[in-house]
Amino acid sequence: MATSRTHRIIAMTVLVVLSITFIMPFVWMLSTSFKHEAMIFPPPGEPPRWLPITDVHDDEGRQLVRYQGQVVPDMGADEYGLHQLLVDGEIVTAWNHEVEAVLRTGLHWDNYRRAFEMMDFWQNLRNTLFVCFSAVLGTVLSSALVAYSFARIPWRGRDVVFVLVLATMMLPYQVTLIPLFSVYSRLGWVGTFKPLIVLYWFGVPFYIFLLRQFFKGIPEDLSAAARIDGCSEFGIFARIVVPLSKPALATAALFMFLFQWGDFLNPLIYLQDHSQYTLAVALQQFQSQHESAWGPLMAMGTVITLPVILLFFLTQRTFIQGIALSGLKG
Amino acid sequence: MTKWERRQLRNGLLFASPWIIGFCCFALYPLVMSIYYSFTAFNVVQPPVWIGLANYQELFFEDPLFWTALYNTLYFTVFSVPLALMFSLTLALLLNQKVPFMSVFRTVFFLPSIVPIVASAVLWLWVLNPDSGLINSLLRQWLGIEGPGWMADARWSKPSLILMSMWSVGGAMVIFLAGLADVPQTLYEVAELDGAGPVKKFLHVTLPMLTPTILFNMVMGLIMAFQYFTQVYVMTGGSGTPLDSTMFYALYLYRNSFYYLRMGYASAMAWMLFIVILGATLGVLYSSKKWVFYHGD
Amino acid sequence: MNNFRQTIAKLALPVGIAIAFILVWPDQAGTEAERQALREGRTVITYWDRHSGHEHRARVRLIEEFNAVQDEVFVRTVPIGYNALMEKTLTSTAGGAPPDILSIDGGIMAQLAAHRLFLPLDDFVADVPSLDPELFFPHIWPMVDIDGHVWGIPTTTDTYCLVWNRTAFEEAGLDPDQPPEDWDTFMDYIARLTVRSETGAIERMGFLPWVPWCQIYQWGVLFGGEWFNEELGRSEAGSDPNIIAAYEWHQSFTVDPDADEQLPHAMHPERIESFSRGLGDYMSANNPFYSGRVAMISEGEWQVAFIPRYAPGLDWDVAPLPQPPGVEPLAFGPSIIADVIPATAHHPEAAKKFLRWFYSPRGEGQTSPAGDYNEAIRNIPPRIYEAMEPRFIEHPRFSIFVKQLLERRVVRYPITPITQFISDQARRQRERVTFGRATPEEAAQAFEDSVNRELERIETLIERRRQ
Repeated sequence: MATSRTHRIIAMTVLVVLSITFIMPFVWMLSTSFKHEAMIFPPPGEPPRWLPITDVHDDEGRQLVRYQGQVVPDMGADEYGLHQLLVDGEIVTAWNHEVEAVLRTGLHWDNYRRAFEMMDFWQNLRNTLFVCFSAVLGTVLSSALVAYSFARIPWRGRDVVFVLVLATMMLPYQVTLIPLFSVYSRLGWVGTFKPLIVLYWFGVPFYIFLLRQFFKGIPEDLSAAARIDGCSEFGIFARIVVPLSKPALATAALFMFLFQWGDFLNPLIYLQDHSQYTLAVALQQFQSQHESAWGPLMAMGTVITLPVILLFFLTQRTFIQGIALSGLKG
Repeated sequence: MTKWERRQLRNGLLFASPWIIGFCCFALYPLVMSIYYSFTAFNVVQPPVWIGLANYQELFFEDPLFWTALYNTLYFTVFSVPLALMFSLTLALLLNQKVPFMSVFRTVFFLPSIVPIVASAVLWLWVLNPDSGLINSLLRQWLGIEGPGWMADARWSKPSLILMSMWSVGGAMVIFLAGLADVPQTLYEVAELDGAGPVKKFLHVTLPMLTPTILFNMVMGLIMAFQYFTQVYVMTGGSGTPLDSTMFYALYLYRNSFYYLRMGYASAMAWMLFIVILGATLGVLYSSKKWVFYHGD
Repeated sequence: MNNFRQTIAKLALPVGIAIAFILVWPDQAGTEAERQALREGRTVITYWDRHSGHEHRARVRLIEEFNAVQDEVFVRTVPIGYNALMEKTLTSTAGGAPPDILSIDGGIMAQLAAHRLFLPLDDFVADVPSLDPELFFPHIWPMVDIDGHVWGIPTTTDTYCLVWNRTAFEEAGLDPDQPPEDWDTFMDYIARLTVRSETGAIERMGFLPWVPWCQIYQWGVLFGGEWFNEELGRSEAGSDPNIIAAYEWHQSFTVDPDADEQLPHAMHPERIESFSRGLGDYMSANNPFYSGRVAMISEGEWQVAFIPRYAPGLDWDVAPLPQPPGVEPLAFGPSIIADVIPATAHHPEAAKKFLRWFYSPRGEGQTSPAGDYNEAIRNIPPRIYEAMEPRFIEHPRFSIFVKQLLERRVVRYPITPITQFISDQARRQRERVTFGRATPEEAAQAFEDSVNRELERIETLIERRRQ
């Protein structure tokens, strides 16, 4: 028993060390989302700041700034950078470079407020969920059917067709984008959600391959027994293979959800109105050729990532704790 | 064909019909068109002009950057695919133990795969900064050595990107975990009765039972590595600097298609890549007959 | 009881899915204002803006004004963003689903206009008094007037100046009010402003011609060189001593083991690459110029808006870029942003109504929306009389940029079908030079060869297409 214990301790140590490096991107995004704009990037030559930092306001909500060694409230600045400061009860004007915001460690919620202002969050969320649900449902149903064909029915020409399925993933999207667009355009689908959904109801190669690998692991005896009982091929699929493959199906559903949740190229290309935009497309708009709203970008990145993390955390049991434990198989 | 074979063929095609119909409706036309484009000069806007094999001739004999891009991509693939495979498998094995907080750990290792790349790229630029970056600062402090220039150095830029790609093994790891969960407990019990230790159990039970998922992750890893694009595009702006060392195949193809408006040339590139990937995949699939074990067979 | 439970469990998934779909089922696209406009019988047209952020908001404000002042046309704006601009624009226009008006980069416009992707605007321009070609800076109009037709309306233009950090000047013992005017002073200042740590690492660079991005094309021009001869339709850069000199100047920033003399700030190419790579994001307080890591920089007029935003504490000023001796004073006016109407747009007439409003003064002696747009995003208006308005020409720093275009001969990118390729090649050869993989002569020749080969290829194609 002692070896098993040392074993676990070693495993645990390795895991903890590795997790620190793996959690870095997320922690970085989270902490940056709470940083004042002036401190988002580390000063040159210095390591970046991990703690959030925010500005300080007085009782009347005016931002406090340092001006000629004095801390004074700032009444606001015009677009040329001329500030109006309240110094000893009198209004004094000062240029941008003469004032410096007073900062303290704390959560800078302003990024979140601005992020929500910059997009129609609930509309974008609704669009995203619609596209995700539709695509996930279609992907899982259709890919499972097709995978069953490749995994469990020995038909002539099967392996050639299977390689063809894989082959459709091997051509870079750039060269098929324009002809595909013209197909959708002729169907009158451009400007609707259909190009982001319909294709996924016809089997997606990645998931066909994935599910095939898992379906192949289910003992053939089970199918044979059902066949003797007079069960149809679809019956075997629906009553034996699908229930035994819930973990794999859940994995496929999760991956498809994540893909659609984060994909920005397809929605941007096929949607023609920003009231249809998904969250990922709206997030891209935070970055412009001449301007990146880093604070709001990190804030919205956090808002978009958190639900997915939660989804993964809560559902991981479904696809990781296989049914192998129940002893049904083998 | 016997009656049984006919029945199997009918059933097989029926189950595969969603994909076959979808392929004919949506994928076939773009595929055929891109083959056609590869024999034309096509600027996206005007009708393509047939130029025969001129694009392929230019690729092979007149465009040194094509070979650079191919070399860079092969370099990346040869290192990143096996490394990612071993790393994700190791992680999955570690996370398959009965250690406390396992669900938290699993989530953590999956995190880099879901953080938007625009957000994490900023972090990577700092981690790999030659002067003040995290890695070089640690090397200086702990080992007293001066680290390499990472993305700024033509010799280190590809290793940097390979290192970065190790952070996104979360997907492969989850698939391995699902595969591990499918290993019947009874097999371990039988092995234990035979007096097998942990190493033997791994080599004779776990590894063979995982081969279907290893095959999947290997083939998908190959397909994706050959088309590696997004991360390098975000990190370098897609210019291939320094000295074309990060000009990957898909990046050069992208520049030709949407910047230089040479869709015909890009299509020829795409089909050359297609042949390379198909060859590699067929090689793996062919060899897999010897090493992949399906419990159902 | 058990049966009941099983039934519930079976139903849970489909019912759950159904409820989820009902909750998120999309409603009609578009805004209420747009539907209202359709009910009123107005023509609704689509405008694609390549900008997001404050530049987009400035555009939206003006479009809302247009929607309010007349009742025939309603413009809806869609921000396309920058990340996949080319994919979106090209697939949509090639695939027959274009917008009615598109805001596009001048270089790309020239590439596409040669392929008849847009509606010719000759008659429209002749009909709008404020779009008289005479009103524009002389270098601007040829960028939209290609092959005998006008394809777009210039919205904004840019130029570059020397922007310097006054604090860094003071620290180096230089007079912050005295920017370098001639070439020798410039080189002297670069040396004196460069600060190295004890270990030899660069702490501050006086100037680096590829920060914030490689500007070899501009420097070739300012050295008096000609990258591309538009009249001959080919490049002769390989035998242009000024282009070679520009490459030589770039090379002088890196250590050359064979050279007798090194510039005091020259260093190992990888070290310098590390330095320029280790600098922060352009649009942040970490921009190398904002953070003081580079003391002088060649930058555009938009800095008048950017510096107060990202580096409020910076003490800076603007002057014309120095040029080597014996070269006439030149300004680099690389490109424009233009509004175009795609050839397959659904409502070209309504689109022209909007363009007419946008580019005309609102009334006698009043400003035009296009001018207001330039003011809001701090770009130079392409029409001279607008650039001369007090809000541009009397602004202490902005005016210096405007004066470059007014007082000097302006050089722009050549109008070719391969402009993007040309600027890429100039940069690739610059890297080969600074990493010691090619001599300046070889680089200039390699540039010339690749550009001419690419052009010949395109010309044969155009010839074949004609047949």
